[in-house]
Amino acid sequence: MTREDVYAKLEPIFRELFDQYDGPITDELTANDVEQWDSLGHVQLVVALEQECGVRCAPQEVTGLPDLGALVDLFAAKTQA
Amino acid sequence: MSRLEQHSTLAKLYALQLEVFPEHEDFLSRRIANSSDEHLVELEHLAQVIARIGEGKLETIARDYAWLTNEMLEEEYYFRRHGTYRLSTFEEAERTVYANAEFMQKYMNGVLFSHLWWGNHSRVIIHFHREFLSRIKQGAHHLEVGPGHGLLLYLAANSPRTGSVTGWDVSATSLRDTRHALEAMGVHKPVTLEAHNIVDAPSGKFDSLTFSEVLEHLEQPRDALKTLRSLLNDGGKIFVHAPVNSPAPDHIYLFREPEEIVEMVRDAGFAIDETVNFPGMDASLERARKLKLTISTIVVGTAI
Repeated sequence: MTREDVYAKLEPIFRELFDQYDGPITDELTANDVEQWDSLGHVQLVVALEQECGVRCAPQEVTGLPDLGALVDLFAAKTQA
Repeated sequence: MSRLEQHSTLAKLYALQLEVFPEHEDFLSRRIANSSDEHLVELEHLAQVIARIGEGKLETIARDYAWLTNEMLEEEYYFRRHGTYRLSTFEEAERTVYANAEFMQKYMNGVLFSHLWWGNHSRVIIHFHREFLSRIKQGAHHLEVGPGHGLLLYLAANSPRTGSVTGWDVSATSLRDTRHALEAMGVHKPVTLEAHNIVDAPSGKFDSLTFSEVLEHLEQPRDALKTLRSLLNDGGKIFVHAPVNSPAPDHIYLFREPEEIVEMVRDAGFAIDETVNFPGMDASLERARKLKLTISTIVVGTAI
């Protein structure tokens, strides 16, 4: 998948999970910008995206990512592998 | 944080928690920022109790809370991927958690601090203290099955409405922690602590009963509730608290909706007095149901 493909999968998931956030979904977005994006929310986001993209991530791969762009990069790379 | 200036014990535990677990700052600062002034007063009272229970080992407890959050995240991954809890039998939980004294101690410590930092947990404690204990019979002989860290049993023992207090637990670690909590808080009321499994509980008659965060640890929760009914006098009150969609290292029975707990309590021979739901992460109940988030469900019943 390209990054654009991943974003297409991610956006509806993101909007549903973090429904109090109505700003733009960009590479620079971090958990600090989205109140509902806490550690449990992050798990839900990752697993929902895994299911949409048909890949699986190890917890250490998705912990400590600096921003949303890094998560999109990770999924784009995994789906191309 | 300025909102904690008037809540010295809460401020102290907050600072300690962040010292050993700085990654939790976003979560904790939101937790405090989103709490009403009234809730902060309640949390300060809770913090004072927890600080006395944990006196001399508060840093360890704060570290164990950090450890617990990571354990919970691993369980959350499993739950989200598979739609079930990782364990399904008591034997598995016994082997991996209850028989592992070190794991069990860290777990109990972590859960103790979760009563401060997780809104659903603290609201359950506050509801128990303010509402349930104020409604039980004066001079009640009170039983708690599974007192764990001892917080609820302490509150019951400290209530002017209880005449005597008894705690039964299957875990020696839990009983030791409960005994320590009661001693630390200087409870003077008669308290009996005994090792019993609910499946072969001795006979007895009580006026009120606490059963908090136990149902989800059982293979046959319905049978357990029926046993508890037999331990209560007619008209006796039961406080059941169990979580919905709440993966944890030793949870084996998955409640997917609060109504499943209500129905189980009713079926065991109780008239339902009230049901209260506290979703985790301060979510609305509607959102918690939709996304299958954790909900702490309280069911208060009268034995009929």
